[in-house]
Amino acid sequence: MSRTLEADVHPPYAHPGYRSTHLRAPKQPLVRVAPSPLEAAAPAFPKQFVTEAEADLTTWGKSAPLGEKMVLVGRVLDEAGRPVRRSLVEVWQANASGRYPHPVDDHDAPLDPNFLGKGQVLTDDEGRYRVVTIKPGAYPWKNHAFAWRPAHIHLSLFGNSYAQRLITQMFFPGDPLLAIDPIFNSVPDEAGRRTLIADLDLEHGVEGVALGYRFDIVLRGPRATPMGA
Amino acid sequence: MAKPTPSQTVGPFFARELLWSDGGNVLFPGRGERITLTGRVLDGAGAPVVDALFETWQMDGAGKLPAAGEAARPYGYGRVSTGANGGYAIVTVMPGPFTGPGGETYAPQLSVTIFARGLLKAVRTRVFLAPLDAIKDDPLARAIGNPDRLRTLVAARDPNDPTIYRWDVRLQGAGEAVFIDV
Repeated sequence: MSRTLEADVHPPYAHPGYRSTHLRAPKQPLVRVAPSPLEAAAPAFPKQFVTEAEADLTTWGKSAPLGEKMVLVGRVLDEAGRPVRRSLVEVWQANASGRYPHPVDDHDAPLDPNFLGKGQVLTDDEGRYRVVTIKPGAYPWKNHAFAWRPAHIHLSLFGNSYAQRLITQMFFPGDPLLAIDPIFNSVPDEAGRRTLIADLDLEHGVEGVALGYRFDIVLRGPRATPMGA
Repeated sequence: MAKPTPSQTVGPFFARELLWSDGGNVLFPGRGERITLTGRVLDGAGAPVVDALFETWQMDGAGKLPAAGEAARPYGYGRVSTGANGGYAIVTVMPGPFTGPGGETYAPQLSVTIFARGLLKAVRTRVFLAPLDAIKDDPLARAIGNPDRLRTLVAARDPNDPTIYRWDVRLQGAGEAVFIDV
């Protein structure tokens, strides 16, 4: 049953509309095995691995970065709704002009010397995280004619077991580019796609300063598998 | 039951954000037999995958889970990106064999997760640091059965330097590595 669930939720490897999958998507079926004792555990990030300042992407430069300041809050939960505690959440994103400070990003948009676009935070005992940043810009890419990625923030999560390890992207409500994005639309069902869109959450913003958005993340629970399968 | 959040590609722009200066040097509190796992990630046309995020997670030399520690990074976990030729290298200790909850014996192995542009979700697998005839009872080896498929997960010990294990990962096509659903 959980196998069907997984298959429904995640994109397939091969998605014709996303060109980079053509030569990279495995073609053989996955071999299903029970998580090993290793995969049932997760790397433990020491407390000092993360500093409080790393949760605020807007304070790294000499002055504030350009763009619309925002607060991203959310909870990391497992499928049973239990909080994933003290777990590393890494975020990275383009600047307000839709440009990454990466050597292979050739989008002709300005870099922002006051914005590196990376941060990290550990979830608290309720599974909550909070990141302060700016809203990233959309940017063109070469997948097809007039292809533009909708504004998005990348998130990397570890969870309580290595089998839960997840990298995903968070999108913004009401973005017209979502309709033409093959990466977002690789998620097979509409309910799944909707979970990748943050909700505007004014109360978690800062009055007169920053808009709040909420993005909750659900990591799969341990797979129910017969002993020794 | 809440539905899991869908996976999305890591994309091409993670180098400054997810990589650590010494992420390919796996930390352990004790000493162990130092080894290097190295090779290339290749696509369905045999071209190097130059922008993959390559992660490893493993038991210590005694086959025990890495403890939570006070080191700069987690014990037992390696993270690198592939380079211009698709190459990667993880310097670590030789993991010991370990036992599962049903008494099954796991051969010396690393759990491997690869993220990349063009991979909408990670590919996961296990690489064996022991020859084919020594892993027959491993749960994954038994699940795969076919020795030609299993061979895609066996790292080859370098005849000139026994501390080096070589393992190429083909994502697609001839010699495609076995990937797992755990």
